[in-house]
Amino acid sequence: MNRFQYARPETVAEAVALLEEYGDDARLLAGGTDLVIELRNRWVEPKVVIDLKHIPELTPSITVRDDVLSISASTVMTDIAEDELVQRHFPALVEAAVVVGSVQIRARATLAGNICNGSPAADTSPPLLVYDAVVVIAGPEGTRRTPVDDFIVGPGKTSLGRGELVTAVELPIPQRPFGAAYTRLTRRRGTDLASITLCCGVDTDGHTRLAYGSVGPRAFLEIDDTGTLADPSVSIEEKVAPLDQLFHRASPSPKSLRASPDYRLAMLRVLGARALETALGRLTKEQV
Amino acid sequence: MKSVGSSPRRGGGLGRVTGHQQYLADIKLPDVLQVKLVTLPVARAKINSIDVTEAEALPGVAFVMTSADLPQPMPRFGPQFQDRPVLADGETKYHGEAVAAVAAETKEIAEEAVRLVKVHYDELHGGVYSVAEALADNPLLVQDPKLRGDSPLAHTNIIDEKHFGWGDIDSQESDLIVEDTFQFPMVTHFAIEPHGFMAAPDGDGIEIWSTIQHPYLLQKIMAKLLDMPLAMVRVHAPDPGGGFGGKQIPKLEPLIAYMALRAQRPVRLILTLDETFQTVRRSSAEVRVRLGFTENGVFTFQDIETNFLVGAYVDIADRVVSKSSYSAAGPYSVPAVKIIGRTIVSHTTPSTAFRGFGIPQISWARESVIDEAALRLGVDRLDIRLRNLARYREEFIPLEEADGDWEQTVRTAAKRIGWNDPLPPNRGRGIACGMKSGPTTGLSYSTVRLLYDGSAMVYAGTSDMGQGARTVFAQIASDELGVPLENIAVVMGDTAVVPYDQQTSASRSSVLMGTAVQRACQDIQGKVLTMATELYGINEDAVKTVGGRLLLPDREVTLTEVMQEALAPLGGEVIGNGEMRKEKDPNHPLGGTAAFFEFNCTASEVEVDMETGHVTLIKHVTVGDVGRSLNPKQVTAQDDGAAIQGLGHTLMEHYIFDDAGRVRNIGAIDYRILTSMDLPLEMHSESIENADGPGPYGIKGVSEGSLLVTAPAVGAAVREATGKVIRDLPLTPQRVWEALQEDENGS
Repeated sequence: MNRFQYARPETVAEAVALLEEYGDDARLLAGGTDLVIELRNRWVEPKVVIDLKHIPELTPSITVRDDVLSISASTVMTDIAEDELVQRHFPALVEAAVVVGSVQIRARATLAGNICNGSPAADTSPPLLVYDAVVVIAGPEGTRRTPVDDFIVGPGKTSLGRGELVTAVELPIPQRPFGAAYTRLTRRRGTDLASITLCCGVDTDGHTRLAYGSVGPRAFLEIDDTGTLADPSVSIEEKVAPLDQLFHRASPSPKSLRASPDYRLAMLRVLGARALETALGRLTKEQV
Repeated sequence: MKSVGSSPRRGGGLGRVTGHQQYLADIKLPDVLQVKLVTLPVARAKINSIDVTEAEALPGVAFVMTSADLPQPMPRFGPQFQDRPVLADGETKYHGEAVAAVAAETKEIAEEAVRLVKVHYDELHGGVYSVAEALADNPLLVQDPKLRGDSPLAHTNIIDEKHFGWGDIDSQESDLIVEDTFQFPMVTHFAIEPHGFMAAPDGDGIEIWSTIQHPYLLQKIMAKLLDMPLAMVRVHAPDPGGGFGGKQIPKLEPLIAYMALRAQRPVRLILTLDETFQTVRRSSAEVRVRLGFTENGVFTFQDIETNFLVGAYVDIADRVVSKSSYSAAGPYSVPAVKIIGRTIVSHTTPSTAFRGFGIPQISWARESVIDEAALRLGVDRLDIRLRNLARYREEFIPLEEADGDWEQTVRTAAKRIGWNDPLPPNRGRGIACGMKSGPTTGLSYSTVRLLYDGSAMVYAGTSDMGQGARTVFAQIASDELGVPLENIAVVMGDTAVVPYDQQTSASRSSVLMGTAVQRACQDIQGKVLTMATELYGINEDAVKTVGGRLLLPDREVTLTEVMQEALAPLGGEVIGNGEMRKEKDPNHPLGGTAAFFEFNCTASEVEVDMETGHVTLIKHVTVGDVGRSLNPKQVTAQDDGAAIQGLGHTLMEHYIFDDAGRVRNIGAIDYRILTSMDLPLEMHSESIENADGPGPYGIKGVSEGSLLVTAPAVGAAVREATGKVIRDLPLTPQRVWEALQEDENGS
């Protein structure tokens, strides 16, 4: 670990000012589950580490206002997974949150940190994409909101500009029946990094939203409005081809230690079909 | 109450689970220097020069040790061949081999200084990373022929080629001959406690602390390297946090000792988990098996060739090869056997002893080929094994006899798995047999002190690395002396205090050291008996010793009562000594017969996800012939642990190399071991107890049996579920899926 300054701002404005001053030489500390490892291994050598845990505006909270569920930036995975509102409206996000790292990691790791870290294998990216989440960003120019699909850019990259930080993630509560499921491919059942992350959501109007990660530089969102995939009366065999088309952006790395490109591409189809089936099953339940 | 045969609370167990145990890394030496190793990001390199100026200028750095600071020529050591240099000698031979070491006031300063050491080197391209590369015509030689002495193989990568067997395989008439070749990957021990080493000058001698399993071997090697008498080399060996064979043989202790002597201060090096990957591993192997059968599935011959890729330095690997190859034909009665075993060096992490000692590699191939034969002959896979199993007391290998009712073990496993029960879809079952030779020689001494208040101290040079040796030695002493378990202290891990023990390996300690402890207690019994005859004026014949009690003609007294009466008023104690020798046998190819065999039958039921290739372990059964369970809970726990470790190499563990010989998946992220969530849904470890072992009360050694044939049992189950033969481990989802994609022609 190299030497760095440690800053503990008490307002978002102070944090923004520090970020503006240091730019890429600053790193934000929320849960620290990625940052501390990066510091220890000297993968990052910031001049300043800005601790966000003492900013009252970012205190862990999950609230609902105007049919939008808002998760503040320092809210950890455990709390998200155990929250009744999240469980009721966003079960696929719960399924993703409960497999991030290990029990210990989930007690520290934040949702905001998971997407800001920019890992293509981030578990929460696909459900956030499927649920059409919006990222709330504070910066020198004030607050702005951006769809999570625009926020995620590539490995380690987000659309955050200089001086900007995430203050919350907002999820619009579906106003019509919506069934969604998250699934992943790992090498073992216990704690593991995913070789594929995948979330599928369907509604009663024939829309299918499918997001998948860990097979390219970022998680991708695909939307199918033909109605075929979302139609429970169409057999899974007939859905293979349209489902396959949704994975056209997948480009798994041949250098990966975790799985070969052929295997990942084949598993995308398998997991896609399974998640679709589960999502449709949940949709049916919602309608009952 | 008898302690032997019960499962009392484990000695030291509470300390382990509450964090109170003092592992090596918890021991604080005053004024200690912290050491970090300097390694290169390549496998093979020619070291041109090492510039330590900048590193040594960093405040807090004591010095940087390079090969130039060591005695010349470079000191080398090893248990069998003295081939391992203290530091890389002009050239690194594997990824991670240390070229220098920094000693500094803090670990952080040492880490910083490592970055400032300038190693000027040229990467050497090409290397020996596989059996094929090692055995190619005119191969690159891993070891300098000059170091190979007068070996006729000095100009090859083969350290030794062993020829074993009996009968004439070519004259046997067979109805079916099956041949195939299987691969076993490189895996690492993954002890939760990484290796650690400390050393401090002590007058004219030296004190060494190590996580070593064999403190007396370390003492011997250090005395020789440093030209000191044994009495001046004191080894402290605190209970290791897991060993599995990976901590048997000295590795970095010599380096640390030279650094302590140079610093004239204590020095300390605790490896990271990542560094242990580059310190110890299991030998990988390519095993070709050709088996002949009659139409009824009875063996006509076995023809086995084992090629073990052992790494850059031989360590104990050549013994792994000879010992495992010698019994490569398994627990069967076979009229003719031919075995060739090769110890092959490579530019990879040196391999060492690892639970199973070569047997898992060979049995993976042999048992899988037996299954192939059974399927072709239309003989049940259980029956083919029962038909060939060596009978009780049969000399099934020259000079070795089957020391248990192995059929009973196999039938128990088959019953437990429900061998003939109907199988649900996507399921498969497999069964496999294996055995491993226990120690072929041994020497253990124990001293036991019966103290005046009736408590006792047992001195035993075994290392308790989790197997529970402390508990069973205390149990033996408790029964023999009539002292309650909680009043017995077991002292281990200090060569200046505890008498000599050859080693903690080959599942020997309960049998060999256990016997020494028992004999030391019997020595006390004899002394107390003499006291009784003098005290009570009776004849020896009139007294009987039963456990911790003396039966006098008119009454019964405890050993303690007699001792207290005899030693009053000055007090004192009774000291007993025990010795257990397992002598060499010069006529035996291994230098001695097996003290016992660990015989195991494993049966497994799996369910395969035909779309993803994921294998779910539905039920996993292991049954071992243990002679007798000294401590049933510990025996079962050992078997469970071994089975889980075996499932690791079966399902997910393996080193992955890049083309330049670098290990790509060092550490816990991309080298996966089983978690509790990956365990079989049902798991049973059972023991067959006929009290027919050579140890105290009829015990045999345990701890390795349950991983000897994990891979072939699970592999056979996967084969039955999928119809596919997979010849490489581990059976990862991707590998199973790839097999499922193959058409009938295998392409």
